[in-house]
Amino acid sequence: MQTWKQIRDREDGKLPSRTFANRIKSNRISDLQLSNHKEIVSSHKGSINSLQIDFSERRYLLSAASDSSVAVYDIQRATNYEGGGVISKHSSLFVVDKQHESGHKYAVSSAIWYPIDTGLFITASYDHHINVWDTNTTKVVVNFKMPGKVYKTAMSTLATSHMLIAAGTEDVQVRLCDIASGAFAHTLSGHRADGVMNVEWSTSSEWVLITGGCDGAIRFWDIRRAGCFRLLDQSRTQLGRRPPILKHSAITKDSSTKLRTAQKKHANGGGSKQLPIGRVPSKGPMKQRLHPGMLSTQDRATAHYGAVTGLKVTEDGMYLLSTGSDSRLRLWDVESSCDTLVNYETVRLQTSKPIQLATAQDSALVFVPCMRTVKAFDMWSGNTYTTLGGHYECVNACWFNQQDQELYTGGNDRQILVWSPSRSIADQMDEGANEDQDNWSS
Amino acid sequence: MMEMEEEEVGRRNETRKVIALIERATNSTVPEVDHLLLKAIKTVVRYSDFELRLAAETLMDLMQRDHSQVRYLALQIIDELFMRSKLFRTILIENLDQLLSLSVGFRRNLPLPAPPAVASVLRSKAIEFLEKWNVSFGVHYRQLRLGYDYLKNTLRLQFPNMQANALRIQQERRERERRSKEILLSKYEHLKENLSSIKGGLLSTLNEIDECLDILHLKQELESEDVLDDEEIAEFCSLELQQIRLDAMKEGEKVYESSDNKVVFDVLRELYKLLVTKHLVSIQEWISVLVRVEVPDNRFRDSTLKKFIDIRNRLTSVKIKCEEAGCTLQNTSKLDEEEDFWEEGNAVSIENSSGVPNKKNKHSDMPSTSRKVSNDNLGLLNKESNGSDTDNVVRERKEVKSNPLKSKLIAEAPVVRWGSYLDSWGSNRVFMANQRGLELESHWGRVDDEAIIPADKIAELNVLATPYEEKQIEIQPCRAPLRRGGLCQRRDRKLCPFHGPIIPREDEGRPINQSPSEEMNIDSRTDLVEQLAKQAVKNVRDRDIDMAKKREIDKKSLKRAKLAKVREHNEAVLRDAALASTSGSATIGEDNEDKLSAREQKKSLASMLRKKVTSKDRISQKLLSSHARDNTVRLNDSWDDVKYREAFPNQW
Repeated sequence: MQTWKQIRDREDGKLPSRTFANRIKSNRISDLQLSNHKEIVSSHKGSINSLQIDFSERRYLLSAASDSSVAVYDIQRATNYEGGGVISKHSSLFVVDKQHESGHKYAVSSAIWYPIDTGLFITASYDHHINVWDTNTTKVVVNFKMPGKVYKTAMSTLATSHMLIAAGTEDVQVRLCDIASGAFAHTLSGHRADGVMNVEWSTSSEWVLITGGCDGAIRFWDIRRAGCFRLLDQSRTQLGRRPPILKHSAITKDSSTKLRTAQKKHANGGGSKQLPIGRVPSKGPMKQRLHPGMLSTQDRATAHYGAVTGLKVTEDGMYLLSTGSDSRLRLWDVESSCDTLVNYETVRLQTSKPIQLATAQDSALVFVPCMRTVKAFDMWSGNTYTTLGGHYECVNACWFNQQDQELYTGGNDRQILVWSPSRSIADQMDEGANEDQDNWSS
Repeated sequence: MMEMEEEEVGRRNETRKVIALIERATNSTVPEVDHLLLKAIKTVVRYSDFELRLAAETLMDLMQRDHSQVRYLALQIIDELFMRSKLFRTILIENLDQLLSLSVGFRRNLPLPAPPAVASVLRSKAIEFLEKWNVSFGVHYRQLRLGYDYLKNTLRLQFPNMQANALRIQQERRERERRSKEILLSKYEHLKENLSSIKGGLLSTLNEIDECLDILHLKQELESEDVLDDEEIAEFCSLELQQIRLDAMKEGEKVYESSDNKVVFDVLRELYKLLVTKHLVSIQEWISVLVRVEVPDNRFRDSTLKKFIDIRNRLTSVKIKCEEAGCTLQNTSKLDEEEDFWEEGNAVSIENSSGVPNKKNKHSDMPSTSRKVSNDNLGLLNKESNGSDTDNVVRERKEVKSNPLKSKLIAEAPVVRWGSYLDSWGSNRVFMANQRGLELESHWGRVDDEAIIPADKIAELNVLATPYEEKQIEIQPCRAPLRRGGLCQRRDRKLCPFHGPIIPREDEGRPINQSPSEEMNIDSRTDLVEQLAKQAVKNVRDRDIDMAKKREIDKKSLKRAKLAKVREHNEAVLRDAALASTSGSATIGEDNEDKLSAREQKKSLASMLRKKVTSKDRISQKLLSSHARDNTVRLNDSWDDVKYREAFPNQW
């Protein structure tokens, strides 16, 4: 009923078509469940470490697994059908594994598409190598030798002026590998211990790189300059969401004071600095002066106790989600570099491996692998929206496909599961003769 | 308002009902869920979704119990509902991984709980169920496929593979059918080729039989015409008489074997045998082949089938005719055997019931052989048992026949062992002490030749020493019912160490209740037995050939009687004791039952968890107790001390 009314509203022009589409999409997202009609036949023999769908066609799923294999699946067209055409099975288009002449020796920790097209993909492995592959010939085009195990690689989707692969490795330095030249363009040093688990490019600036290290620090780097320019400190907090710029002027003193008092209640003592909400922290002269080196006291701030295992920037680039081995999920305001104190009801997170988070459209939901399940949290309230349980072992990676509103998850049980909105009733009607029905003996 | 409340109350009651039902069904030690309870659960759940949800919840709770038996029974109920209700499936599928980890126990940190035997059964059953579910509903539930795939391909658990097995069996059956069809077809082809010869053989036999019968009937008619006159018919005036006469005539029409038609009968019998044992069977076989075979061209088959059925009908009719004429197969075969037995290598013509002269011959033969055999047997028996007595016995028999008094005396005489004392049995003679035929006169001095040993002294000396012989009492087994089934086979005199006093029991081991009337019965029975025994003795004396045997029987019956008496006595004593010890009402049987029921009760879910105390445990308990250990340590220390002192005697 609601849908018909909305359609009429859209026809009448009461409802902007974009809003209409968003509503439909969020409706669909709201009832994600394990898809019965779409199945990915995993060709991996080890745990799935990373999943990514290409950005140009949003059709090819790239997966990397611990058995040093990388596979590509076509998620639009099924390779074969089962159960009377009800279940579509998607087998891999090709697999690159140990047998391949230049395949990785050890587990592949990360595999990403070249952001511009599907002609290239980049794999990073525990065998200290980053390979750049030509998709069509499945041959290595460029090869980077890293100083240690590579945990994570990332390429900027915005970049127009560089082709850099940011790589987080066992080494404390983050390296930027230039595909064009085949050399390390930059080495970013600042993390202290045990390497860098996660790297992520900002979605608002092509020069900004965010890294999460095993020392619990999240650092922001401007790749044009030396040193990190921002360090997230878990003791710097702000309550809730920063109001949009437009409404900034409308905030009265009253409300701001109210908020401040509320803030004080929540603030934990111990010299934690409180920034008033609504005030964009201006880069003061002291900050400016501090930048390249920063004060050593400030330089020791941590975002998590233990290692930072997951990073995800929201679509608009204003917020950053991070998970740590302290089983916390934090939402950071990038601009103010404060923890927004949203309490996500995570129970326990995997600590030993980097995990891959995903956000739904308009950053309404965040999907976090919580051990054997994937939890969907409301990003702003932190409430658990749904718990998607289907994996039999720990989940490592999830990827949300904006186009089909489908979620792909991969875990240690070497399965890639598809979570899709429940099908319409009409679809279910023509499921075939052997319907699922009650079967009571009379 | 009221109605709603009532509904609420009703619902609450109902809820209690389904939960209680499930609780009751799972609180049991038997390996199967009670059928009736299961049915009740199903009916309750069927008509109410609310109940179903509740049941699913309860069952999942039960699956988390720390007891494999509870989980096992719960799993069985889950399977029942899973196969039936869609709603139940959808509810359960949500937590399938949990259910699987609780039932299969594949997670290392969540192993299956205590009774390990039940746990292994639970695991295998769970795997079997999962496979079944996957086959039936896998298409509709991704989770099922996923779980199945995970257990099978990732954990590599062994699935029973029912479907594949069924397929294979079906394949095998199809193969078998195909082969049998081929065989049928080849037979059919064979028939097609040899039809004329087969038919020829059959028909020739038929014709021969017909001819034989014709000959017989011809002869008969000739004879019967002589016997029956028209005049005689007039005499049978009344209806009954007429009937009788008709019967007689019919009887008369029957052909009997006689010396002149014996040859014909022999041939007929031969042919009949052939007909029954060979032709009828073969034609039946051919018909079945024709019926079962599948050929594109049906014409030949149908026509042949028709022909064969005709032939079969003819065969059966001929067979009946033959039987009327007096041929029977079983008889012949039996007699054949007998003949083989008595007269070797004598292939004599087939016997039949009407063959009177032959039979007579046989009878004259038989007694002689049989007597011989029996004599032989007897002789053997006698030789085996007591060869020396036989002559005696035979002689006695002869005498007995002449002298009734003696027989009477013998009946009264006691049976004693043989010995030298029998020489002077009943004599009153005195013995001369010094007249032994040895000439030793005056060797040592004067000898009194007249010295005698008086008769009473002799008797005293000759008193038969009989060592006490224990009567061989057959010790009865205890026969108390065992828990594992079967009866206790321990043989003790009075008291079984496990089952108490030995009492007469039924075949199933229940004690036979002794009431006074029963005792009376026993008394009378023993009396009767004694009487019988006496009677038997008399009979024995009369028929002295079987004497030895009979005596044995006699002894046995006496023994039995005595045993019964002893037992009766024992029981009386025991009963008295029981009555004295308990307050009075409890009898032995009840006591026993109480114990049994207590044991039953003890076998609960908790008892399944209890570890059995083995002898090893007991030994370890003894050896590893702190006391024993201390003692050992002290002993060792003192030994060390002694050694040390011996080694270094100069050090104190």
